[in-house]
Amino acid sequence: MSPDPALVMRNLSVEYDGRAALRSVDLTVSQGEVLALLGPSGAGKSTALHVVAGFHAPATGEIYINGELVASPSYLEVPNRRDVAVVFQNYALWPHMSALDTVAYPVRRRGLSRSSAQAEAMEILDRLNIAHLAHRRPSELSGGEQQRVGLARALARRASLYLFDEPTAHLDSHLRVVFLEEMVSRLRASGAAALYSTHDAEEALGLADRVALLHDGRVVQVGTPQQVYDEPADAWVARLTGPASVISSPAGPGHVLVRPDWAYLGGPLEGRLLKVWFRGPHSDHLVESRFGTLLLREPGPPAHRAGQRVSWGLRRSWPVGGGEDQAETEDQISSSFAGPE
Amino acid sequence: MRRAPSTVVVQRGVFTIVISLVVVLVAFPIARLAQTVWAETDGDLSWILGSAGLVTAVRNTLLLAAVVTVVAVPSGALLALALRRADVPGRGFFRVAVLLPILVPDFVLAYSWTQAYGPAGFTDSMTGLGWDGVRGPVGVAVVVAVNAVPLAYLVTAVGLASRAEPDLERAARVSGAGAWTALRTVTVPLLRPALAAAGVLVFVLTLGTFAIPQVMGAPAGFTTVTTRIYANLSLGGDSASFVEAVTLALLLVVLAGSVVVPADALLGPRLRVRRQAVAEGSVTASAGRAPGRWIAAGLGCYLLATVGLPLLALVAAAVTRAVGLPPAPSNWTTDNFREVMTARTFEALTRSLWLAVTAASLLTLLGACVAVLERRRSGRPLSSMVTLTLVLPGSTLAVALLISYGRWLANTLAIILLAYLAKLWAFAHRPVSGALDRLPPDEVQAARASGASALTAVRTVALRPLLPALMAAWFICFLTALHEVTMSSLLYGPGSETLAVVVLNSQELGGIGPTAALSVLLTLLLAVPAALFWVLLRVVRVPETDPSPEVVPHVA
Repeated sequence: MSPDPALVMRNLSVEYDGRAALRSVDLTVSQGEVLALLGPSGAGKSTALHVVAGFHAPATGEIYINGELVASPSYLEVPNRRDVAVVFQNYALWPHMSALDTVAYPVRRRGLSRSSAQAEAMEILDRLNIAHLAHRRPSELSGGEQQRVGLARALARRASLYLFDEPTAHLDSHLRVVFLEEMVSRLRASGAAALYSTHDAEEALGLADRVALLHDGRVVQVGTPQQVYDEPADAWVARLTGPASVISSPAGPGHVLVRPDWAYLGGPLEGRLLKVWFRGPHSDHLVESRFGTLLLREPGPPAHRAGQRVSWGLRRSWPVGGGEDQAETEDQISSSFAGPE
Repeated sequence: MRRAPSTVVVQRGVFTIVISLVVVLVAFPIARLAQTVWAETDGDLSWILGSAGLVTAVRNTLLLAAVVTVVAVPSGALLALALRRADVPGRGFFRVAVLLPILVPDFVLAYSWTQAYGPAGFTDSMTGLGWDGVRGPVGVAVVVAVNAVPLAYLVTAVGLASRAEPDLERAARVSGAGAWTALRTVTVPLLRPALAAAGVLVFVLTLGTFAIPQVMGAPAGFTTVTTRIYANLSLGGDSASFVEAVTLALLLVVLAGSVVVPADALLGPRLRVRRQAVAEGSVTASAGRAPGRWIAAGLGCYLLATVGLPLLALVAAAVTRAVGLPPAPSNWTTDNFREVMTARTFEALTRSLWLAVTAASLLTLLGACVAVLERRRSGRPLSSMVTLTLVLPGSTLAVALLISYGRWLANTLAIILLAYLAKLWAFAHRPVSGALDRLPPDEVQAARASGASALTAVRTVALRPLLPALMAAWFICFLTALHEVTMSSLLYGPGSETLAVVVLNSQELGGIGPTAALSVLLTLLLAVPAALFWVLLRVVRVPETDPSPEVVPHVA
């Protein structure tokens, strides 16, 4: 394994039609590491993957894969000579090829004969438990099956860096879980590094070693899933990584961020219950107080009704800069609860 | 689904009118043509093989169609591939410019070529390089191919946009394939149905092409089926040449049909668009701009040689005092234009405009009707029939209409109008049908659910997005009708010549200067509305839903 990081993006900027899509991005993916790129659509996630894969050229900055320069404003390595494999959001399966031919394709490009390429492809399909689909074309496969073939094709490339471009975006939620499990276990087994783009915080926090948050082409924060969830760089990151309320600090000046599970009912502070939602395993409470409105989560069914006065307290909180979120409305809290879009 | 009675009545009414028009314009005349051939020859067609001239014409036609297909389809495909690359400077310009050969009337293009490259032509007088063969089979093949390349380009470009998404090729590149391997293993296989369709279309349209062989081939004794029909009907007045003309007309449609029908059955299902053309653009970035610049330079040379220089030569011939003089300012004159600005020319011009406007307006309506009707199961055979008129050779249609309605309508504008309606119906149908395909059905449903009647829903919600397509249909029919000569030259009589016929006759009989002047006038007559249309289309273009920036990489 190369002693260099699997991927280094240094001061990387990318433009489309004169519009900046990535601005001075610095990111490193270590060998064997899974880095999730988390951001809303339009943040530049796909752009980042495209420029690493070699589909687009950077305006400034450099990209190194395993220590080897692959892109700079004056040098551009073609995609087929980069040590990367891509799993596409829309699967990008070739409609005129069977699953077997598709998976054999990268093997053939490594110079193997047709028969040995097919043998290796069959082995990969078998490992992913889709050997029975070998002779089907994409039109005869379901979305989940198509994405598995796409994963198989990427694995057949035997790259040291895998790029996942929102691979689960078009999958139903139950298929999503299955696919992610499969993907992560294969990835870990191969020892390869991965850059995984998604707009789903749960997905990013659940599978990545580290998470990079992208906002408008800029990296806002990089850290372990725990770090970006517990210690978000700002209110924007906080909302993107999960439900959060910003209130003025009960303990002093400034504002604090509160995750729903950091607050509890029955504490020293006074408030009034605006709304209650029963969510199955837990209940969510929207509490109005003189520090602001916050969302609070308690296990089990709700014990109070909307309109009642309640007491509440904080287990922990995280200070955030800027007071622009002071006048946060109930709508914003509810929508941030529904998860980032 | 059961519908309210009033809707059913309206639908049935429109359906009946449209189906009767198809019968009157196409089905009955073709049947009448077949019946006439049968009656005139008592079913004995063996004499065809005995007529050396006829056999030669058929052989020439088939050979021409084959050569043109082999040349034009790969050229069109290359153009489509080249113009998809984002790094070609002036790509927007070239995308329009490569369509010029179909905008210039084919007989003007042919005549321009003879003026540009022929003996005593432009290159001859400037550099001493004249091409004797420009009038003859090779010249005909080259210009027909030049004329067919834009069509092949359009068909493959649509195929590229709808089937070969950039991601499919990117997947190949990132799987380790080089640019050529990706082209060979992914792009071309994906394009195969589009290439085959382009081949069929070019082949069949070349079978029916008339003006170019007439202008460039006939003087050198190179005859095709269409030019022989023309010669038989316009020059020979005896019954033998009439029988030969109707037989050839029937033969032509049989030849076309024997290619199109199996091809349609084979290709049709594979060509139905599976997904919208979602994205286009470069598959991968390339360092430096050199390859793009080279492509642009090549495209520029190609356009200059095929259209630019010939049109320049045409203009030079139109403004030069006498044939053979170098086109220098000292030899410039407006005499040629003054000579052709006669009352007869103006009458022909008025007739042409009237015909084109009437035909375009009726055709847009008819095309829209078929596009709407084909959405119902019962309307589908109708749309297939209308689409088939696209490949129905104009000569066949003209002869068939002449036999069927000539008794009452011969030498009138009415029969020419009928011919335009029959021949161009598909031209009006395709754009509207395509736009309807792209119209999300739930938008009209949403209007209905918001309380709009069917008519109001269409007017308020569907009409605006359909407007560019309706305009495109109108203008395509208008422009095509303006420079139509294949049918007009067979159907016109004293007092019903169109301007295009006047130009064609002048090319055959008249002097070079006046003919060139007329050709320039006709081309301008087409260029002005075309430019106007271009501007209008930009104005009415439906604003696309703003693509979210995350989508932009695919579009860029």
